[in-house]
Amino acid sequence: MRFQYVLSEIATGLRRNLTMTVAVIITVSISIALFGTGLLIRAQSEATKGYWYDKVEISVFMCNEYSRGGNCGGGEVTDSERERIQATLEDHREVAEVFYESQEEAYERFTEPLDDPVADVINPDHLQEAFRVALVDPDEYDGVVSAVAGLPGVQNVHDQREVLGPLFRLLDWFQVGAIVIAVIQVVAATLLIANTIRLAAFSRRRETGIMRLVGASNFYIQLPFILEAAIAGLIGSILGCAAVFALQEVAVSRLLAPNFTFTEWVSQSDVWMMVPWLLLTGVIISAFASFLTLRRYLRV
Amino acid sequence: MIRFDNVTKVYPTQSGPALDSLTMEVERGEFVFLVGPSGSGKSTFLRLVLKEERPTSGRIRVAGKDLHRLSNWKVPHLRRRIGTVFQDFRLLPNKTVFENVAFALQVIGKSRRQIQRDVPAVLDLVGLDGKQDRMPDQLSGGEQQRVAVARAFVNRPLILLADEPTGNLDPATSVGIMKLLDRINRTGTTVAMATHDQSIVDQMRKRVIQLEHGKLVRDQSRGVYGYTR
Repeated sequence: MRFQYVLSEIATGLRRNLTMTVAVIITVSISIALFGTGLLIRAQSEATKGYWYDKVEISVFMCNEYSRGGNCGGGEVTDSERERIQATLEDHREVAEVFYESQEEAYERFTEPLDDPVADVINPDHLQEAFRVALVDPDEYDGVVSAVAGLPGVQNVHDQREVLGPLFRLLDWFQVGAIVIAVIQVVAATLLIANTIRLAAFSRRRETGIMRLVGASNFYIQLPFILEAAIAGLIGSILGCAAVFALQEVAVSRLLAPNFTFTEWVSQSDVWMMVPWLLLTGVIISAFASFLTLRRYLRV
Repeated sequence: MIRFDNVTKVYPTQSGPALDSLTMEVERGEFVFLVGPSGSGKSTFLRLVLKEERPTSGRIRVAGKDLHRLSNWKVPHLRRRIGTVFQDFRLLPNKTVFENVAFALQVIGKSRRQIQRDVPAVLDLVGLDGKQDRMPDQLSGGEQQRVAVARAFVNRPLILLADEPTGNLDPATSVGIMKLLDRINRTGTTVAMATHDQSIVDQMRKRVIQLEHGKLVRDQSRGVYGYTR
């Protein structure tokens, strides 16, 4: 394999089709940027879930003397009812820990954060005592909820996941949207690459014709074209990665993270983790598209 | 060296067959003229030998290989044993004489040392010593064809195919090219040449195979052109 020959062929090819090469680079960079954005949103989704899952707990509220509904037959939860609820929770294999919160503690927690006039008119008796339950696997909340929901003395079982559900669903939709757009872009990039390589093959048909005639192997004839596409793909992917870094820096690190501290945000190191995949995707798409094109246009 | 057994080639876009049940054999070291009017199947014959086309039916053996059984990835190796020369020379205009000939060796992965050794030798053989740094457009037609012959022969092929190599040349220059092909033939290389050039065929007195409508109509050793256009 004569390395110098291959290099000079690539340089010639890239120069001859400069406009198309630029088009390929731009398309690849956009599709890689979108693909990277999709991955970023996915990582964000994971980070958000990870952050919240540690904090997600089930609250089992018990009846007080004012309670209506639920299994409150009348009046406050009795000691035996409370013990039975606690035992049920502690025996359940999905339950990691159970904390008891008395009415007084609930009152403290309620009045602590806000200097609210409402706090003046209620007293601990108005609030409910509760069990706060941490789960082994936050996804498995159903079983725990159903195990205690029917017990006497339970007014209500509250699962925090229900609050976070819409957020997660929104993130999922963002993710799907970004991936779909990326796929469309990848198709466009593939077609553009195919066209560029076809032009390159056409403009060098004299050389390739002679190469075929004197018995150069297909691999040798096609290699400069495939590398040409791969190089354009690589440049495009690098630009795409840069765009993802910029997005992370501007949108996440500067805009979102300082203002919304209720969750963890994707960091630059998350983007670094994606870089190899993004580069690989860009290069492989380009090389593969040109390979398929050449199979049609540079047959033996 | 080249053997056709009942070979028929039909192009999908044409009505009649380009070759019609052609059976013939060219021995090692032979010099053969293929004559016949345009469209008689001469070029198809050459393309079939190179496996640029596949026959519709029949068997072809070239250099001991059954082309039907030769897998696609081995076709380049077949072509390394066949040199080809065309009417239009097909030189690369942006490469010098030396580079044009060297190109044929470069692209089959020969070493720099081998190129430095073989290219001057073959340029000497075709009578172009001293012109290796010229560009093709600085050469006469005859000289350009010599470059093409050098390129075809530099890898010492078993077979040299020539498709009307003198078609663009004046008679005096053509004689020079024919002498060159004759010299190459004398090194043991089988030469098959398609031509319309009556005077050359008549002068050379080599085997003549005449095709018409893809059929073999005459196979004559030490023959003449034999028909008028």
